[in-house]
Amino acid sequence: MSRRLLIGVFEREEDILNATRASRTLGYTLVDAYAPYAVHGLDEAMGLAPSRLPWVCFALGLAGAAFKVWFEFWTTSVNWPVNVGGKPWNSLPAFVPITFEVMVLTAGVSTVLAFLAVARLLPGRKARLPRARVTDDEFVLVLEESDAAFDVARVRRLLDGFNAVRIEERVEEA
Amino acid sequence: MNFESTLPPLPEGSVRLLRALAAVGGLIILAGVLFAPERIWPSLLLVTYFLVCTALAGAFFVALQYVAGAGWSVALRRVPETLAMLLPAAGAALILVLLARPSLYPWAVHDSAYVALQGFKALWLNRPFFLARAAVYLALWIGLALAIVRTSRRQDSDGAIEHTLRNEKLSAVFIVVFALTFWPAAFDWIMSLEPHWSSTIFGVYNFAGMFLSGLATIIVLTVWLERLGPLHGVLNDNHLHDLGRLLFAFSTFWAYIWFSQYMLIWYANFPEETVYYTRRLHGAWQPLFLLNFFLNWVVPFFILLMRASKRSATTLMRVAVFVLVGRWLDLYLMIVPPHAGDWPPFGVWEVGPAVAAVALGLLASFHYLRQAPIIPVRDPLLAESLAQSDTPKPSRVSAGSSKDFFQAGVG
Repeated sequence: MSRRLLIGVFEREEDILNATRASRTLGYTLVDAYAPYAVHGLDEAMGLAPSRLPWVCFALGLAGAAFKVWFEFWTTSVNWPVNVGGKPWNSLPAFVPITFEVMVLTAGVSTVLAFLAVARLLPGRKARLPRARVTDDEFVLVLEESDAAFDVARVRRLLDGFNAVRIEERVEEA
Repeated sequence: MNFESTLPPLPEGSVRLLRALAAVGGLIILAGVLFAPERIWPSLLLVTYFLVCTALAGAFFVALQYVAGAGWSVALRRVPETLAMLLPAAGAALILVLLARPSLYPWAVHDSAYVALQGFKALWLNRPFFLARAAVYLALWIGLALAIVRTSRRQDSDGAIEHTLRNEKLSAVFIVVFALTFWPAAFDWIMSLEPHWSSTIFGVYNFAGMFLSGLATIIVLTVWLERLGPLHGVLNDNHLHDLGRLLFAFSTFWAYIWFSQYMLIWYANFPEETVYYTRRLHGAWQPLFLLNFFLNWVVPFFILLMRASKRSATTLMRVAVFVLVGRWLDLYLMIVPPHAGDWPPFGVWEVGPAVAAVALGLLASFHYLRQAPIIPVRDPLLAESLAQSDTPKPSRVSAGSSKDFFQAGVG
C-alpha cells in the first residue's frame, strides 16, 4: 500500500504555522510537519493531542518513590535493624534523600524509555526526512493526497500563498 | 500597539487607597515603637529585609538574563528593573532598623544572662563592624544594580548594542559580588539573631527564599500590568509558561535546601544546633513550621506540575500570592521565635508593618515603572522576546535594526 504525499517547503516559521493552520481548517490530512527546532504553537496548529509522557513520568516517579520508602523501611527496621546514632529504627528524614534520588531516576529513565518506545526509535533506525535541510534551516509540511477529491493545483496555490519555496509530490512506499 | 508608551497614571482611587494603607501602617509602626518595641522591631526587621530581598531578586533576575543572553524575558524586563530600583529605599529602611534597635541582637547588648561569644564569632559580631559591613553590602548592590538599570534605560533612546554588552559585563560582576556578599549578609542580619546557633547552609537557604519570592513578585506585577493594559498583547502564554517554570523550579530548590538544613541538624543531633528546631517545633509553632513547607513547596509544586496552570495568568498569580505569604511566614519563623515565648505572636504589630511595606512597595514600583517605556523598546533581543508567540505579529518585522544585528552576528 502506498500513499501520495504533497510536500511544501518553507523558510520562515510564521509561514509553516499559517500554512499548517490553513490546511487543517480546510480539512486536508496532515502527515507531519518538520522543523529544525521546536516552533511554538506548531503542535496546536497541527491539532496534536497533548503528550501523555508526563503521566508516565508522574506515575513511575511516584511508584519509584513509594517503592524506595517501603524498601528502606523494610531493610532498616524490619529485616535488619541497625542502631544509627540512637535514632529510631524507622527514621523517615534519613530516607528522604535516597527516595528523592530514586524517584528522579525512575521518573527520568522511564520517561526516556517510554518516549523511545512510543516513537519507535530503536538503535540503527534510519532517519526518514522529507528533506535533509529540515535539520538546518527549512520547515516542511507534509500533506496526504487522501482521495480523488484532493485537488493538487488548489493545494499548491494555498501553500504558495504562504510563501512556500518549493512544492513537490511524492509517493511513499509503506 | 504603541510600545513607546509609558504606564498611564494609576486610577486616583487606587493611589488614595495605597496611601491610606501606608499611612495606617506607618501610624501602627509609630505606635509600636512607642508602646510595643519588643514586638514591632522584629516585625520591622522582617519587612525591611523582605523588601531588600525582593529588590535584590529583581536585580539578580535582570543580571541572570543578561549573562545568559536570554531573549524571552526582554519584553517584561522593566518589571524586575523596577524592583531593583527599590533597593536604595529598602536598604535605607533596613539600615535604620539595624541602627535604631541594637537589642534585636543578643550579642550587641550587655546582658548578664547572656553567654558571651568566643573565638571568631566574638571578633566578627561587634556593632561598628556589623554596621560597616551592612553599609558595604548595600552600597555594592545598589551601585551595580542601578548601573545596570541606567544602562538598560539609556538603550531606549539610541538602541546601541554597546549598552547590552556593557550590561553583560556589569551583570557578571554583580552576580559574583552578590554571591560573595549575600550569604554573609544573611548571616549578619538574620542568623546572628541567635548567635550561638549556626548553619552553614543558611545563606543558600536565604538565597532560595529570596529568589523564589522575587519571582513571585515579578509574576504578580507582570500579570497585573498585562491586565491593566501596558503589557497587553506583548505578553502571552509562553512568557507566563517560562515564568511559571522558574517559580516551579525555585520552589523545589527552596524545599531542597529547607529540608537539607533540617536533615543535617537532625542527623548530627548537636544540642547547640537542634535548639533552633526545638524552638520552632514545639507547641503552637509546629503547625506554622509545617504551613511554611506547605505554602512554599506543596502548593506551588502540585499546582504548577500541570502545564495548563503555568500558562494560566490567574492560576499563576494565585500561586505567586501563596508563595509571597509563604515567604513572609518563612522569615517570621527565622526572625520572631527568639524574641517570643511559647505562643507565636500575631496581631496588629505584625500586620501593620507588612501592610505599610506592601503599600509603599507598590507606590514606589508605580513611580519607577513610569520613569521609562514599559518595555525596553530598542533592545536588540526584543524581537526574539516578542516572537515567543503563537500568532506571529507584524511588529516583528518592524524591528529592522535588531534583525540586521543578528544577521551580522551570524555572518
